[in-house]
Amino acid sequence: MNEQFRVAQKLGLMFLPDSPIPEDYKSWAVSQLHAKSPALGIKTARAYPKPKVKEWPKELQPDLLTRDNMYHTYKDNRERQRQKLQGHNTQADIEKNERDNLIKDIDQLKFAHRNSYGQDQLRLRFTTFWANHFRTANIHDNSNHIGHLIEEGILGNLNGDFANLLYKATSHPAMLVYLDNHISSGPNSGHAIDMKRNGRQAGLNDNLGRELLELHTVSPSANYTEADIKGAAKVLAGWGAEPGRVLDNPGTLADTHKEVMKMGGTLNSWDYFKQRYAEPGSKTVMGKVISGGKGGLRQLTDFLASHEHTINYISFKLAQHFVSDNPSQSDLKHIKNVWKTSGGDLDQIHTAVIERAVASKEPKFQWPMNWLFQVIRLSGAQGFKGWQEEKDDIYNDEIMSVRNIFFELGQGFWLPGQPNGYSSDKNEWLSGEMFERRIRFASALYKGGFPTQSTEDIMNRIGANDATKNLVASVKGTKNKFVALMCSPEIMGLENA
Amino acid sequence: MPKINLTRRQFLKASGASLFLAGLPLPGFTKDKPPGTISVILLEGGMDGLTAVPPFGDPNLSKMRRGLTPDNFLKLNSFFGLHPSFQYFSGLMAKNNASVVHATNFPYNKRSHFEGQNLMEGGGLTPFSETTGWLGRALDLAKTPGRSMSLDMPLILRGASENDNFFPASIRKSGSLNTDLINMISMAHDQEGSKIFNKVSKKSTQKDSVVPRDPASLAKYAGKAMANDGGPLSSVIKVDQFDTHASQGADEFGRHGERMKVIDDIMAGYKEGLGDAWDRSIILTLTEFGRTVKENGTWGTDHGWGSAGLLAGGAIKKSRVISQWPGLAERDLFEKRDLMSTIDYRSVCAACVENALGLDHDLIAEKVFFTPGLPRVYDYIFS
Repeated sequence: MNEQFRVAQKLGLMFLPDSPIPEDYKSWAVSQLHAKSPALGIKTARAYPKPKVKEWPKELQPDLLTRDNMYHTYKDNRERQRQKLQGHNTQADIEKNERDNLIKDIDQLKFAHRNSYGQDQLRLRFTTFWANHFRTANIHDNSNHIGHLIEEGILGNLNGDFANLLYKATSHPAMLVYLDNHISSGPNSGHAIDMKRNGRQAGLNDNLGRELLELHTVSPSANYTEADIKGAAKVLAGWGAEPGRVLDNPGTLADTHKEVMKMGGTLNSWDYFKQRYAEPGSKTVMGKVISGGKGGLRQLTDFLASHEHTINYISFKLAQHFVSDNPSQSDLKHIKNVWKTSGGDLDQIHTAVIERAVASKEPKFQWPMNWLFQVIRLSGAQGFKGWQEEKDDIYNDEIMSVRNIFFELGQGFWLPGQPNGYSSDKNEWLSGEMFERRIRFASALYKGGFPTQSTEDIMNRIGANDATKNLVASVKGTKNKFVALMCSPEIMGLENA
Repeated sequence: MPKINLTRRQFLKASGASLFLAGLPLPGFTKDKPPGTISVILLEGGMDGLTAVPPFGDPNLSKMRRGLTPDNFLKLNSFFGLHPSFQYFSGLMAKNNASVVHATNFPYNKRSHFEGQNLMEGGGLTPFSETTGWLGRALDLAKTPGRSMSLDMPLILRGASENDNFFPASIRKSGSLNTDLINMISMAHDQEGSKIFNKVSKKSTQKDSVVPRDPASLAKYAGKAMANDGGPLSSVIKVDQFDTHASQGADEFGRHGERMKVIDDIMAGYKEGLGDAWDRSIILTLTEFGRTVKENGTWGTDHGWGSAGLLAGGAIKKSRVISQWPGLAERDLFEKRDLMSTIDYRSVCAACVENALGLDHDLIAEKVFFTPGLPRVYDYIFS
C-alpha cells in the first residue's frame, strides 16, 4: 500500500473515490484534526441514479432538550399504552411511538453515514476511539442520548483538553443514566434522609464512581481502594436527571419541566445537579480532598485527568489502537511526554499519536466497523440505507437496517454491552465467525451496494502489494476478486503470509 | 482477609461440619471412564447468588435485603431456596441431575468486572496474566476441541487451536460461502489469519441449517453437536446484564429474574440437544463476582464477592447444595459487605474438567490453574 493509504488506513477511514490524495500526507494527517465536515449522508440508497451526498437534514439532528422531550413523550405514551388507552395500545401505535420518539436508529445511521462519507476521516477515527473509551451502551433509557454524547460530547470537544472531555463525558446524561448515577443519592442527603424517614430505601450506588476510576481514568494499576470508589460515588451523587421523567400521571411537558426545574434548577440535562441528592461536605478520593456541591465533580475529574496513572493507561490505549498491536516503549514514552508537557492538550496528544503511527511500519488490525467503513469508502459502495428510508422504516431489498448491520458485525455503540468498550488487541477479534462476517459483508456490499470502483482500480489507487495482487489474480469472477481484496491481509491490517 | 484456599484436609473437616452438605464420601473415580462433555455458561456483570439461591434460613437475609428476595422461592431444603426463575433447573434438582455450590467464587475479591471476568475465564493468578483460558488449556491437555456459541471467541476457550465458535450470520445479499475463494484467502494470510479462514472454509462445506440465535436454541444446537461422535466436548455460552446496580427486582419479572430465566432456558436447551449424551454431561455457571449483601440506595446491589454456582447434567448423580455457609451477619461478611467465598470455585471447575475430560486432578491443578495445592472437591459433586 502506498504511504497515503497506509496512513489513511491506520488513522483514518481511507480516501473516497473522488477525493484528492495529498502529497504531504503527514501534514495532511495533522491538519485533519481540525477538518470541518458537516454530517454528510444520503437520503435514499439506490443503484441508479447514484444518490447525492448531502448534509443531513436539521430536523433529524435534534438538540438535547428536544431529545429529552421526545423521550418524555415516548414514556408518556408507554404509560398510556400500559393503561390500554385508545390510540396507544395497538402494535401499530407502539411502533409509531418508537419511530416518532426514539432517535437511536437515526443517530446510528448518522454515525454510519458520517464515517462513510465524511471529509474528516481522522477526526472521526479519534471520535470513535473516545466514544469507545467512554462507552455508553444502549440500556433503552439512554437511547435518545448516546448519539448526542458521541456527537456533541466527544466530537464537539476533540480540540480541547482531556480534562474537559472527561468532565463533559462524565456529566453527560447518556453516561449518568447508563451507569445508574441519576438515581444515586448521598447517604446523608436530604433526599435519602426523607426517604428513610418514610421507611423507604435511598442512597448511593457506586457504578459510575467505580468505572470512572477503573475504566475512564487511573485504571486498577493506581491501587485505589473501596473508600476511594465510595468517595467518587459521593462526589457524583446528585448528578443526572431521570430520562423522560414521567410524573405520577401522564401530564403535559410543561408540568414535567416545572418539576424538573424544581429538582435541578435547569432544563439542561447535561448540567443537571440535584442538590437534594448530593452528599453534603467534602469528600476524599485518592488523597485529594474534593469540596462539596456541584463544583466538586469538576475538581475530581481535573484531578483524575492529570494523574500519572491516567496518562500511562490512556497513552497505551491510544498507541494500541492507532500505532501497533504491540506498541513499543518509545512510542508510549513519546505520547506520555507530550501528554504531560502539553497539560493534556488533545490536539498535541493526537498529533503525537499520528507521528508514531506514521513512523511505525507495523500493520494495525482494523476493527470490524472501521474495516466496513474503509471498504465502503474504497469502493464507493452504499453500505447503509438513506435517512428517509430509515426514518420511514422502508424495506430495502439490498441493504439491512443500520441496527442489524452493527449487530451482525458484532460491534456497535448502540448495542447493549459492558462499559469497558471494545478491545484494540487483535487477539480479541480472531475467530471464525468474525472472519466469516468479513467475507459476507464484502460480498453483500458487492451485490447490494453497487460499488463504483473496480477491484483493479482500487488496487492501483492504493498501490496494493504483490501478495494482494496475486491473491486477487488467483480467484475467478469479479465478485470473488472484490471479496478477496477486501479480506486480504493488507486491507484487514494483518501481516501477509 | 480470612484464608480461603483451604487445604484438602481443612476442607473435608469444614465440609463435614457443614449442615448443608448432603451426603459425604464417596466411591472413587475410575480412570477408565469415557470422557464426558463440559459446558460453561458465563454470567457477565455479576450474578447475585443470594437472589438466585436465597438462604432463607439465615435470619440476616431479610434484614439486609428486604426488597431483593422473592416471596415465591422454591424450597430446596430447610435453609436454601431457589429463585422462581429456575423452574426447569428445579426439576433437574428433583431428578438428582443438578446441584448448587454456594458462597463460592474465584479467589479474586477486588470487585472489578473486567479483572474478575479475565480471571474467571483465564484462570490465572493475577488479572490479565494469561492469554489463554482455563477451559482451552484443559482441552489442550485432553487433546479435544471445544466450541463457543458466540460471535467472538471468549478468553476461556483460547489456547486450543482446534476450538471454534458458532453464531449463525444473517446478512442480506451475502449469498452462500464459496469454499475455493475462502481457501485462496486463507493461503494469502499468515499463520494466525490463515488458521481462522481455514475454519470458515471448513464450515462452508457443511450444509446450511437454520439455527435461531436465542440462547436456548444455541444451547440446543451445542448439545446436539456435542452429542455427535467426534463432536466438540465442550461449549460456552455467555449471558450478560447481571450488573443490576439499580431496580434489581425480586421475582422472575425483575431485571435479575429475567436474566436468570435465560440461564434456566439454556439448561433446558442443553438437555434437549444433548439427548442421550446428557448422561455424560456437566454444565456449570461462572460469574465474576456476587453482589453486595445489603441492598444499595437505588434498589439494586453493587459489586461483591461470593456468589452461587449452578451445576447440571447427567454426570451428577445426587442433587445437593454444597456450601460451608459463612453467614450474613456483618461480622461474617468480607470487608463487612460481601458474602464470603468459602469454596474456591476453581476447585469446582477442576472437578468438572476431571469428570468430563478424564484428566487427573493434580494435573489440572498445576497446568490449568497453576495452583498445585488446589483442593479436590470432586467427590462432593459427582458421588
